[in-house]
Amino acid sequence: MTKRVLSVVYMFWITLFFASLVSAVKLMNDKRIERNQTIKLQSIILRVLQIPTPEQMPEQALSRLFADRVKEIDVQGKTLYVGYEEDGRTIRGYALPVGGPGFWGPIQGMVGIAPDAAKVLGIAFIKHSETPGLGGRITESWFTDQFEDLPLFPIEGERNIFYLKPEGTSRAANELDAITGATNTSSAVETFMNRELDHFLKDLWGQIGETT
Amino acid sequence: MPNLPPKKEIFLTGLWKDNPVLRQILGICSTLAVTNLMVNTLVMDLGLIFTVCMSSLTVSLLRKVTPLRIRMMVQTLIIASYVIIVDILIKAYLPDISEALGPYVALIITNCIIMGRCEAFARHNPPGASFIDGLGMSLGYSLVLIAIAFIREPLGFGTLLGFRVMPQGFVHWTVMIMAPGAFFTLGIMVWILKYFRPQTGEEKG
Amino acid sequence: MDAINPLTLFFAAIFTNNILLTNFLGLCPFLSMSGQKKSAFGMGAAVVFVMASTTALNNLVHFKVLVPLGLEHFRYIVFIVVIAAFVQMVEMTVERFFPALYFSLGIFLPLITVNCAIFGASLFMVIREYDFVQSLAYGAGSGIGWMLAIVAISAIREKLQKTAKLPRGLEGPAITLIITGLLALAFLAFSGMIRVQ
Repeated sequence: MTKRVLSVVYMFWITLFFASLVSAVKLMNDKRIERNQTIKLQSIILRVLQIPTPEQMPEQALSRLFADRVKEIDVQGKTLYVGYEEDGRTIRGYALPVGGPGFWGPIQGMVGIAPDAAKVLGIAFIKHSETPGLGGRITESWFTDQFEDLPLFPIEGERNIFYLKPEGTSRAANELDAITGATNTSSAVETFMNRELDHFLKDLWGQIGETT
Repeated sequence: MPNLPPKKEIFLTGLWKDNPVLRQILGICSTLAVTNLMVNTLVMDLGLIFTVCMSSLTVSLLRKVTPLRIRMMVQTLIIASYVIIVDILIKAYLPDISEALGPYVALIITNCIIMGRCEAFARHNPPGASFIDGLGMSLGYSLVLIAIAFIREPLGFGTLLGFRVMPQGFVHWTVMIMAPGAFFTLGIMVWILKYFRPQTGEEKG
Repeated sequence: MDAINPLTLFFAAIFTNNILLTNFLGLCPFLSMSGQKKSAFGMGAAVVFVMASTTALNNLVHFKVLVPLGLEHFRYIVFIVVIAAFVQMVEMTVERFFPALYFSLGIFLPLITVNCAIFGASLFMVIREYDFVQSLAYGAGSGIGWMLAIVAISAIREKLQKTAKLPRGLEGPAITLIITGLLALAFLAFSGMIRVQ
């Protein structure tokens, strides 16, 4: 009988010890982890707005650049980022957070939009759970670079803002290369990005003029 | 207390003679997934080495006080705690690699090797020897993974640690980036090794 | 934001993102066993049940208990405890009410607790932020996919041992790995089949 009690007591203390150890390590690193996420978001926003950042820029400098050149605004409940030129007054563009279901899990990205909302400046992905080497290739520059200068127009009828076609078959200006072998991820990205961009043009764009 | 072989021998046993992956085919599951990029493999290896060594050490330190009946639960608790610590540290200091590694760091917990060493060695031996045993085993395991990555990354991506190592015209062997490539590579490695060292084990070098 | 259809997830987990053939999980127990088709089936059935149940259970525990309390960093320990407890319960139930089944399955049940695939399924569920029904579908699908792979590999291996003499060094783990690689390659063919919309 005592053996059982001893086991339970032992288990209790050792669990307490290790749980505390783990919690301690977590608390010591929480700030850093949060900072990493902030820095990542900031560098992606700067990137899609095409605000140049030197290679290996130290974190402090990046945050300062972000604070100088980007302002966060709220339009109809959606957070948008306005990028300014060096003079601090001329608008360089807008960064629109986009997201949607991928094939395997939620995908989060950012789209840079020109100041007159006529074209895309660039895109980048923040987070995804797609298959590495296949769907995961959406983060590669050959894929994201395609979106530079993509013309934007609100969707009327069946026309999408852009289509992802099998590599090598795109003909129109708004047909881009999908990822070979990752049909599902490509479809998912095409769907939610078109939807988000359309929503921006139809609902958010009109309201922005009043907030900046 | 039975006589322990000298520390050097314990270390070398884990490293080559009884290399966990190649001889006992233990615990390859989780880690094969990250071997398509060398840098991910190296980080994973560091995590593994830390976990195995610290777990063996801790289990050994507690060996005289842990009640026999709950020792598996205790071992699991210890291993899981160290893995969580490794996971937090990687997320804090190497965030991009942490995302690439995904759930595979956590899967170190279910890795048969660690539990195996705790049961077979650390439970019966003093801390110093246990630590060295853990070190030898985890290093041996890591070397195998590095060897696999050494084949998968160049053939699949054309690079090694991000540096281009294959000539410009090289057509990437995409299969190497994906699961089958890992299975084939490890399978062939095991085959070659078993060919040269039949089961009645004499070791080379 | 529209969620992924659980039924699509179910089929995808079996074929296009098979937890063993694509995510490498769950090989350990298999490589060490001599692996007969019958035992593979038995283990597979147990795994399907445990995987579906624990993935769904862990989904509730993680999102409804750990996250609100700010304790997500303990999820690894909690998941393993849940899995171990569940397997223990299943073992006791089977032993009591289905003794015949217990004799044939008996050894596999404790082994399942450390099956990386079961733990892995819960981990993927967290990363991909599935809801309860999706977790159930994903867990069940992954389990069936695992079973499919295991049964196929053991069948091929058995057949191979009967009809061919393997070159020196290939017996055992090496040939199993190569068979698995070929099977993984074959399953890649499914990757275009399942559409999200």
